[in-house]
Amino acid sequence: MLRKYRLEVVAAIAVLAFIGLFLATTITAPSAEFAGSDTVGSARISEITGIPEDQFAPLVPQWAPPSGEIESALFALQAAVGGVVLGYVFGTWRAQRRMEARAGLSGTPETDV
Amino acid sequence: MHVMEGFLPATWCIVWWLVALPSLALGLYQLKRVMAVDREALALLGVTGAFIFILSSLKLPSVTGSCSHPTGTGLSAISFGPWITSLVAAIVLLFQALFLAHGGLSTLGANLVSMGIAGPLVGYGIYRALRETQVSIFFTVFLASALADLVTYVVTSLELALAYPAEVGGFAGSFTVFLGIFALTQVPLALVEGVILALVFKYIVQLKPEILVQLKIFPEEKIVAAARGLADAA
Repeated sequence: MLRKYRLEVVAAIAVLAFIGLFLATTITAPSAEFAGSDTVGSARISEITGIPEDQFAPLVPQWAPPSGEIESALFALQAAVGGVVLGYVFGTWRAQRRMEARAGLSGTPETDV
Repeated sequence: MHVMEGFLPATWCIVWWLVALPSLALGLYQLKRVMAVDREALALLGVTGAFIFILSSLKLPSVTGSCSHPTGTGLSAISFGPWITSLVAAIVLLFQALFLAHGGLSTLGANLVSMGIAGPLVGYGIYRALRETQVSIFFTVFLASALADLVTYVVTSLELALAYPAEVGGFAGSFTVFLGIFALTQVPLALVEGVILALVFKYIVQLKPEILVQLKIFPEEKIVAAARGLADAA
């Protein structure tokens, strides 16, 4: 049983450790802002060059989401597109497996390669 | 990992675009060939591409007190190689440049080189090195995915250090600074990403091992052995 779900267990531990690490960081570094590393990187460029950040003008005109809400909506949309495709393909594969097994075309489904 | 629009001098934008373009062309050519041989590959491309979409949209907090996102390119690199992967990454990065102001059109070349090419190339190299060995296919996926993720951020640091060498310490000084921002933040994320993608690979082995054999992603014996191992353990 445990062997069957070994990878799931490892994944669960990894995710929990990640959350634990985050919580530990909020305690050890209460001033952490958790800004994007892109933003932090740009701030550092400004420090290295001595040029204020607002003087880095886009080379190509760029549209930016007017607010954080709109930005997160668009990010959610991106993830949703991935999720829909993923569910569709895994669902199709699973249904194919079952139908093949029912039609008796294969023996035990998992070992039929 | 995005170099923001306007934060890379024009010369470097052009250099990285020139590096990225041949990869996209090669990816397009390979994709046509793969699809002509086997339409079933489209489903696997859907799965591997979906993970690039999902994981690169998640900005996660890390130990450095800043947020970063995984890349999700490992599975695609293993299944279809770095060139086709660069094509899928280009779609995501274009979306983010046009609608999210994460990275821009001028810096798209640089961002493609880090996320779409260099990371997947290293992941692919690791996978090729371990493919014929005794190393478990799941550990191979873990290692390739985690390093594809991490290398992406190392290359972003490299791109910025080349464009902005520090007054004291020059290129190396800048590189260290940017590594501290990008790569260090990325270490825990890369490890978790590796584990998650290895788990996803397990489900592909369980549901559709034929596709992995057809596309010769791993030697047939290894896939059969892994599939049987999962079935027996039940």
